[in-house]
Amino acid sequence: MVSGFSPRMDRGGRGGGRGGGRGGFGDRGGRGGFRGGFRGGRGETGNVSFVSSHRGKKVLIEPHRHEGVFICRGKEDALVTKNMVVGESVYGEKRINVEEGETKIEYRAWNPFRSKLAAAILGGVDQIHIKPGAKVMYLGAASGTTVSHVSDIVGPEGLVYAVEFSHRSGRDLLNVAKKRTNIIPIIEDARHPHKYRMLVGMVDVIFADVAQPDQTRIVALNAHNFLKNGGHFVISIKANCIDSTAAPEAVFASEVKKMSAENMKPQEQLTLEPYERDHAVVVGIYRPPPKQKK
Amino acid sequence: MLVLFETAAGYAIFKVLNESKLQQVDSLYKEFETPEKANKIVKLKHFEKFQDTTEALAAATALVEGKLGKSLKKVLKKVVAKEAHEQLAISDAKLGGVIKEKLDLSCVHSPAVAELMRCIRGQMESLITGLPPREMSAMSLGLAHSLSRYKLKFSPDKVDTMIVQAISLLDDLDKELNNYIMRCREWYGWHFPELGKVITDNLAYCKSVRKIGDRTNVAGSDLSDILPEEIEAEVKLAAEISMGTEVSEEDIGNIRHLCDQVVEISEYRAQLYDYLKNRMMAIAPNLTVMVGELVGARLISHAGSLLNLAKHPASTVQILGAEKALFRALKTRKDTPKYGLIYHASLVGQTTAKNKGKISRMLAAKAALAIRYDALGEDTNAEMGAENRAKLEARLRQLEDKGIRRISGTGKAMAKVDKYQHKSEVRIYDPSGDSTIPSTSKKRKFEEVEEEDATEPMTPAVKPKKAKRESVIEEEEQAETSAAAEETLKKKKKKKKDKKAEEQMEEPKEEEVVAVTETTEKKKKKKKKVKEEQEEA
Repeated sequence: MVSGFSPRMDRGGRGGGRGGGRGGFGDRGGRGGFRGGFRGGRGETGNVSFVSSHRGKKVLIEPHRHEGVFICRGKEDALVTKNMVVGESVYGEKRINVEEGETKIEYRAWNPFRSKLAAAILGGVDQIHIKPGAKVMYLGAASGTTVSHVSDIVGPEGLVYAVEFSHRSGRDLLNVAKKRTNIIPIIEDARHPHKYRMLVGMVDVIFADVAQPDQTRIVALNAHNFLKNGGHFVISIKANCIDSTAAPEAVFASEVKKMSAENMKPQEQLTLEPYERDHAVVVGIYRPPPKQKK
Repeated sequence: MLVLFETAAGYAIFKVLNESKLQQVDSLYKEFETPEKANKIVKLKHFEKFQDTTEALAAATALVEGKLGKSLKKVLKKVVAKEAHEQLAISDAKLGGVIKEKLDLSCVHSPAVAELMRCIRGQMESLITGLPPREMSAMSLGLAHSLSRYKLKFSPDKVDTMIVQAISLLDDLDKELNNYIMRCREWYGWHFPELGKVITDNLAYCKSVRKIGDRTNVAGSDLSDILPEEIEAEVKLAAEISMGTEVSEEDIGNIRHLCDQVVEISEYRAQLYDYLKNRMMAIAPNLTVMVGELVGARLISHAGSLLNLAKHPASTVQILGAEKALFRALKTRKDTPKYGLIYHASLVGQTTAKNKGKISRMLAAKAALAIRYDALGEDTNAEMGAENRAKLEARLRQLEDKGIRRISGTGKAMAKVDKYQHKSEVRIYDPSGDSTIPSTSKKRKFEEVEEEDATEPMTPAVKPKKAKRESVIEEEEQAETSAAAEETLKKKKKKKKDKKAEEQMEEPKEEEVVAVTETTEKKKKKKKKVKEEQEEA
């Protein structure tokens, strides 16, 4: 199901010079810089656990560089998150059971072909900003498949405000939210954030996967209302959706320009090859705190 | 300036203490960085908590639509109206317009206000005192769920889990009941075996056992409300001559307990069945009308949920429940089953065995439509199901009449059926040929008619009048088929005497005709008669 963590091809020769990733955003005008290389959490294999998966084979679970995400190493490597509702599969994904001493922990496999966030993580995005205890606003929640993984990551201390307009998907989302108390389902149009202002507090991260031509404006509206200063946003852009006639790189560039106009500062951009075609993920900061000039 | 801030827990009205800071929009956030600083800029004037979830839901829906809810109106009147000179800062311009119209309060909405709202939202927990942060998130979660449900028009009586559970429980109850009843019969049978043979109905048996107890009490007890009279009499008789053993009071007590249980479970089963029928009608009225409650419930339970069932194509609905037979047939390349659970629907049950397959297929097709209508449609009426059922019943009637009439084709294509001809094999000797004395035709005719009733057309009657024979030959040629001849033979009594004369003449010729056309059954006898005729001739 998940292709292995083979190192990504590095376009534009940015293999070595990563430098923390924040300042180095240069490829905007061109191809959409390809963040290279998988940086697996090899250095942080503190909690390596021996596992028996459902087939009885031994697999290894080690934490990923991103907090709250794990890697399952076995015959095939997989990206997993810790299941908050043990024993239940949300969309039929594989579950892996671990014995860590006396405690039993269950992990759920995360499919990068179905989830843009997983594809971004496997693509090597520098920061997703979604971590345990964070408050996340998820625009375009659909049936709740990726929302469930985000909910796993943020844990019981965090909150996920899942906004979805479609009624059919909303029903499935509601079912997912029934089991997970850190998901707050909002069946409203994300274009009018004032309609659900009663339910939402300030959030740390906005994740948007709405696939609408005016999605930058939607994210901006929601950010102005609910995203804290210095909060981050992660936007998935589908080039076909914004403008099907233009070249994808041009589309991404224009979207990034629109974001900058709304006081949203993009920090990194990453295409989702090989999982999706002509898709890109842009991560940035909203209202960055003013730099102290020395 | 007053600020109206809506939260999931209630309405909060703040008073802006330091309005000058509002002018500097860009640096406003600095003033809200810590709770203490925030409290210097705005102060909570009033917090109107929602009394219960219904009030919160009403307020939330009003907010979504941009209308003035009852609770908001109340709050505004109470608090803000007193300070009518103050402006009210609100997050929604449309709402502001409504408030101005209804309550004549001047409202303001500007980027500065938006920034202010942001800051307040950031410091919500510290500004709204008297509300623990956990409670706020719990309330917003509850409110979000009820609002979403309201939006999706979720109704608890449309949950199909109830059906699945109820039908499983019904099956469990039946199994348990059967076990208990068998145990009861066996146990009590040690004491009074004849009762088991006399009373066949299980519930009546248990009730009787409960009432009788020890068989010595039978004579004195009145079982008229449980059993019909003859059976009661039999029971009383059997009790006298029973060959069962004696049992103690304690044993009878235990058996009685068991019978109590059986009766209770039976009553509950009836109640559960009623409940299931009600639920089925509420959840899937079209399916219920088409196949019945029990079959419908089993289909839903087999598929897991109504929505799952709606996803199946009609061919699957037809053979749901016969998976073992289906896959076995597919593997060995034999014929697949024609019906599964749908076999127990009344429409399939009332047809002949030949048509069950056809009806099952047609019923499955219409039932699949009904299921989808129930699962995914907005209305909840049973019109569509009733219509389809009527169509199916008409089709059923057509199928059954098919043997007599073709469904398609003109009148000429109507199946030709030979009319029933009575072919009797009884022959008796006709002595009319014995006498060579000519007699009146009429008289003979009458006798011969009576004899010929029972005979085949080739009686060896010899006609002396050849002239008549010749005339007869001509007529014979007209009436060629033996069938026609037989017909005429049969209808003798109704026909006129002239025709009867013809018939007489026809007979010897008929023999030959018959011999030639070979329509008679026994050739040997025919040949004999031909020989006889030739001999006579």
